[in-house]
Amino acid sequence: MKKETKYLELWGDLVNLKDLVVAIILSGSLTMLGYFLAPNGDTTKQLFFGLAGAIIALLINTFFIKPKRLISKSPSQEVD
Amino acid sequence: MDLTLLLQMFLASIGATVLYTMIGFIPGTDETAVLMPITLAVILAGVQPIVVLTFFISAIVALNLMNAMPTLVVGLPGGVMSTPMIPHAMTIKRAGLTHENIRKAAAGSLIGVLVALPTSLLIANLIASQAGVIKEYASWLFVFGAIFLSLMGKAKLLSLLMIIPLAMLFQSLRTIYWELGIVLPEKNITTSFFLGITVGPLLVNLLSFLIPANRSKLETDKLKETLIPTISKENLTLNPFQIIKKDESIAAMLASFFSTFVFVLSPVGLIILFGELVGKRKKDPIEKASTSIVTMSALAQSTYLSGIIICVVALGIPLSPAAIGPGGALFTAPPIFSMENNIHHALSGFEFVVAITMGALVAVTIVYYLALRYATQITTFVLTKIPHEAILGLFIGLVLLLAYMDAGLLNIFGVILIGFIGGYLNKLGMNFGIQFMTLYAAPFILSWFAK
Repeated sequence: MKKETKYLELWGDLVNLKDLVVAIILSGSLTMLGYFLAPNGDTTKQLFFGLAGAIIALLINTFFIKPKRLISKSPSQEVD
Repeated sequence: MDLTLLLQMFLASIGATVLYTMIGFIPGTDETAVLMPITLAVILAGVQPIVVLTFFISAIVALNLMNAMPTLVVGLPGGVMSTPMIPHAMTIKRAGLTHENIRKAAAGSLIGVLVALPTSLLIANLIASQAGVIKEYASWLFVFGAIFLSLMGKAKLLSLLMIIPLAMLFQSLRTIYWELGIVLPEKNITTSFFLGITVGPLLVNLLSFLIPANRSKLETDKLKETLIPTISKENLTLNPFQIIKKDESIAAMLASFFSTFVFVLSPVGLIILFGELVGKRKKDPIEKASTSIVTMSALAQSTYLSGIIICVVALGIPLSPAAIGPGGALFTAPPIFSMENNIHHALSGFEFVVAITMGALVAVTIVYYLALRYATQITTFVLTKIPHEAILGLFIGLVLLLAYMDAGLLNIFGVILIGFIGGYLNKLGMNFGIQFMTLYAAPFILSWFAK
């Protein structure tokens, strides 16, 4: 039997707990990894590398996690 | 000011517009939480102040219109500022006129920007001569601001009572960091505390999920269904005068104009107040909703622009809700900006006008066009492609990074502490504004008790 997926509401939208945990861990670790890869003592580079990590994590998360929204399109019935 | 700088400003403006157009379409994002961290990152990256200001002005203009799009198209609030529009947007949507919703909001936004821009610059000029006096009493103003906002809020007594305890929380963490030698005694950690307050409500929810019993209570197995209307491309004019009726534009202009004078009041409060006021005069439900949407959309722009422009140009301290929250980084972003030396001090009168005008006009032109032509397409794209988890992850990553950069590993726990307490107080009705004011006034408040 297929296990039922559960959702939680957070910040106005639904999330799946497992996906959220994965997203947070990935985002947190890539961001901090970026920070530690930057030359020690150079705050600007540390920030930039950190941000780059955050953006890479965002892209990976966006690619692998399915949005929890049910979207349907209504047929065109709108006339001026 | 040379050409390279102007080009940089132009690119910053385009970048901010594109970025915040996408963020605006994501339902449920809080304005402060999306504007502050990214602006802060831009400032700390060493971008020139004039480019930062252009970026920020474009960001708020783009965000204010695009935040309304999910509300208008599918009825999900894009952010706090678009919540008052929901009932009106639904009225029009039910009548099958979603395209009207988008057109009215876009035109309203245009009016809001065009009215607020000159008016705010004028007001800023008028009060600039008094700024010296105002600044001398900055600490007192933050204290009075916190008290004033408490009295305007939902939880008056609670907020008043919590000002001093919250100030103690901030100062005690700072003292711990000094005591342990984590930061130098002259450094006042502000940035990451600010972020802690911002992500507070989100953090409280996240932390409550750590308790299994709590979690299972909130779980659901049903997805919300969202219907995206198809909009015919015909008859979609870009001419704002064909989009809105004369009395609608007058209502929006007057509301925008007057809202700039009360820049210290809450933008959402003003949107509800003026937006409902102009709608009340209409009998027909569609006309009523339509006038309210035009006016509310204009107000979203005018309240934010006036709040930022007047504080940045004339005062140099954040006294409006828009400057205290979303614009906070323009005033304090150590080591680059501090209360004594921030964006207000970095630019001349002429530079302010150029940066603000360019930022606002570039952004409003792009978003006006995008909203009228591609609102449903972008909504569909964001809702089907961008998972909420990825956005939440991004913000938590940013908070971790900035907390660590401010005062090391211990500060991550410090930020969790502030976020938890601040977030819980926020849920009880002590809003962001009161907490930010308290953060600014904390050293001053605690100095009253020194022996």
